[in-house]
Amino acid sequence: MLLKNDRLPELLQSLSAEQRVYVPSNTSNTSAGVSRFALYGTGVEPDFELVNTTMPPKDLLFPQTQKMYRYGFDTEGLPFINAQHDGDEVLLFGIRSCDARSIECMDDVFLTKGFVDEFYQTRREKLITVALGCSHVAETCFCDSMGLDANRAPSADVQLTAVSDGYEVHAQTEKGTTALEAWRPFLTETAAPEASPSVPNVQCTLKVDMTGIKEKLDLMFDHPLWDEISKKCITCGTCTYVCPTCHCFDISQENKMNAGERFRCWDSCMFSAYTEMAGNHNPRAEKMPRVRQRFMHKLCFFEDRYGKSLCVGCGRCVEKCPVALDITMLIDQIGALELGAAGQPGATESVTEGGSHVAH
Amino acid sequence: MSPIKIDHDCARAGALALVPLVCKVTEISEETPDVKAFRVSTLEGKRPFESQPGQTAMLSVIPSGECMFCISAQGDDYLEFTVKRVGYVTEQLHALSVGATVGLRGPYGNAFPYDELKGKDVLFVGGGIGLAPLRALLTYLLDHRADYGRIDLVYSGSTPDDLIFLHDIKNVWSQVPDVHTHVSIYRPCEGWEGEVCYTAPFLKDLKLPQENRAVVLCGGPSLFRTCKEMLLGLGFAAEDIITTLEMKMKCGIGKCGRCNVGSRYICLDGPVFTLSELADLPGSEH
Amino acid sequence: MTQAIEAALRKRAQELLASGEVAQVIAWGSGRLTKQTAPLFVTTPEQADTIVFNDYCVNALAKYAFTERDAGKLAVCVRGCEARGINRLIADKQIEREQVYLLGIPCQGMKDRLSDEPLAKCVACTHRNPVIYDELLASEVTVPVVPVPQSAAERFAEVKEIEAYTREERLALYNDAFDRCIRCYACREGCPVCTCRECFVDQSDVGWQGKQGNTDENRYYNLVRVFHIGDRCIECGECERVCPMGLPLMTLNRKWIKDLDELFAAGEAGLTEELDNALGHYDVHDVEEFM
Repeated sequence: MLLKNDRLPELLQSLSAEQRVYVPSNTSNTSAGVSRFALYGTGVEPDFELVNTTMPPKDLLFPQTQKMYRYGFDTEGLPFINAQHDGDEVLLFGIRSCDARSIECMDDVFLTKGFVDEFYQTRREKLITVALGCSHVAETCFCDSMGLDANRAPSADVQLTAVSDGYEVHAQTEKGTTALEAWRPFLTETAAPEASPSVPNVQCTLKVDMTGIKEKLDLMFDHPLWDEISKKCITCGTCTYVCPTCHCFDISQENKMNAGERFRCWDSCMFSAYTEMAGNHNPRAEKMPRVRQRFMHKLCFFEDRYGKSLCVGCGRCVEKCPVALDITMLIDQIGALELGAAGQPGATESVTEGGSHVAH
Repeated sequence: MSPIKIDHDCARAGALALVPLVCKVTEISEETPDVKAFRVSTLEGKRPFESQPGQTAMLSVIPSGECMFCISAQGDDYLEFTVKRVGYVTEQLHALSVGATVGLRGPYGNAFPYDELKGKDVLFVGGGIGLAPLRALLTYLLDHRADYGRIDLVYSGSTPDDLIFLHDIKNVWSQVPDVHTHVSIYRPCEGWEGEVCYTAPFLKDLKLPQENRAVVLCGGPSLFRTCKEMLLGLGFAAEDIITTLEMKMKCGIGKCGRCNVGSRYICLDGPVFTLSELADLPGSEH
Repeated sequence: MTQAIEAALRKRAQELLASGEVAQVIAWGSGRLTKQTAPLFVTTPEQADTIVFNDYCVNALAKYAFTERDAGKLAVCVRGCEARGINRLIADKQIEREQVYLLGIPCQGMKDRLSDEPLAKCVACTHRNPVIYDELLASEVTVPVVPVPQSAAERFAEVKEIEAYTREERLALYNDAFDRCIRCYACREGCPVCTCRECFVDQSDVGWQGKQGNTDENRYYNLVRVFHIGDRCIECGECERVCPMGLPLMTLNRKWIKDLDELFAAGEAGLTEELDNALGHYDVHDVEEFM
């Protein structure tokens, strides 16, 4: 099936009448270069030439701030705690392979290992992803080094591939097949795919070699490299907030009189307060352990736990880090290391023992 | 002796994930000037959920915030939390009165390996508030006294005011056959007639043989470090020394990230580990 | 000029480290991407040749004199912006003058590596020569390539433009900016003046700052940040440069600076090592129009 370029606006128009459609777009006219997935509608012009939006689409599944429940006392004076579930059907139109993979990572975190996160699940079930193969790459893209294909996102519900006069459309899941029913009036039947000249597959220009990186990191917890690379880090949360897979959150509340609501919000392992306990003990009070935690989690710990890398090669942190603390340079540095005695696993970071009776 | 196996696969069906149950405080007892024990039941007066010794739960002081605590005891119709006033939320918690509404979710994490300990002698080593998580296991063993060998409790604190459960130690636990309690404080204090000694040398003086004996250890960083070194020096194997970890926790269900150590989440896969397991976790050593 | 400075920097870094005069040189090195540079920490004479100085050294280094203050004596590259930052750190008693050896660099301004346009912070810069240094690595800039703002009128032109907006227009403009804020706190972390041991943001027990990411909380954070640093702000523009969401932070800072200037004739901050900020001391002649 072919979606011709000139039918695309009509398609989006039509779909947005039925569901919330999010498209890559520059969200602000006052500042160049800040883009995100925005709700298609008045004033939102999709830009499918954007390789990666400044902000990843993760906030559609895992909003920066998400109400979880309200609490208070009802009219009879009885206390209540009521969960708040939001979520209309959302069509995420035009995500790239890296962002599609990031949703796989988030699914692992929020939907597996014993507990299903109900707030994530509600939104996830109502999300339909339409991936768009990349027709060009940014200088910071390195998804193919992370085992992804910029042209195809296998886990997306629908895959679009740019061809000369539009996009080839393929449903890849049951959800996708169902979703395409509504697209039918805007699609053209095509002969065999070979008939339309495909845009050549794109390759990233930024390359890293991931061979052996995880195995080396297994031995590198106490390596002096962490001290070296963390010096320039200013411990802002930029890398974690623009990252499509970073999913750490805090839980807090807002109270008004006798009622209130508890919400969760993005948090960052770059912040000192993140691990600070009541009584001021903090296992990651210093900068180095925090920087190490972020990179180890991305490239080592997550793989141990979920069998995949938590870095998808989208390059957002590479582009946005204010001090060019570049994960691809770190990967190169690790790759170049000859690990000797310094690679011994060991410990400097401390977790305090003592039950959890003084948590805060 | 076969090594003690600890279950780290902690997906417990029926546990409350993120939304707490409305509960109320049914009883408050003052253990020390800064430690109180809170019994919590559902609004209908029932036990909020069943837990195993060593498990934790997230207690909500409703307008102030949530904290993860170990469940220090459970009865037919309550769960008990023994809480030291250390930070903001615990201060708010200490200000509550009986009847106050709280939220509760859990149970979380793994349990002490009480089945694996059957037939063994068990040495409990605790410092200060660190006795709270041990209490659940200790009382379980006492409830099933015949299944276990000799039980020793080595317990200490800076001052008598830092010692919790003194009534139980003196009048209940030490009255059970073959249960031996050894209590000390670190600095001499008027009115204290017991031992004045740091925990590690106290342990050494007991000269307990390590054969068929498991150790359950919980206390502050310096107690933990010195006792660990002492126990290993005395010939105890790292796989026979069990402890329970503390990290900042927010979700309790292995998602929010802050208690991540290596590939583990302390809230979900822990908090109970043996020292030999800790040695394999990057950065968890003390 | 930058090539000569780079050569001088490498030479002096090598000498200072070899002689043991300093433990570390804080400069710039190259990044991976085209024309990209990054802060560089040189601890051995052999590494001195990795120092880079060109038109794209966009990072202001003064904050590192603070974060690395326990790492022995530091040699720090100081342009106008860094020099004023160092003065501020000394005035605020965050570092001692003796802790730093200052390699002065006259600066014609830096460019964005992608657009090749001068950085906004460099266009607004009023001090192309360092105001404090131990040695100067090149002769002073006397003919700036990018014109230097000559008067308060020029310096505050953008502020005046926004002041002329209606209240509603200003609200819309800033709500749009605050909506974008993701509260990564890069503005705080990059700022040489933000040196509180515990930021008000992190005083969660007190609860000044809600953790919600929404316009109200974002506005609160951004405005309190400005109030906290306002009279000490050295106008290095690093907050605005590091902001990943393109917030016009310097306009906010300059509004506050302009008000202080008008109320107290405060002048520019960080020109000396003295504690001279308007709100840092009391003068019986201060206006009291709020009383």
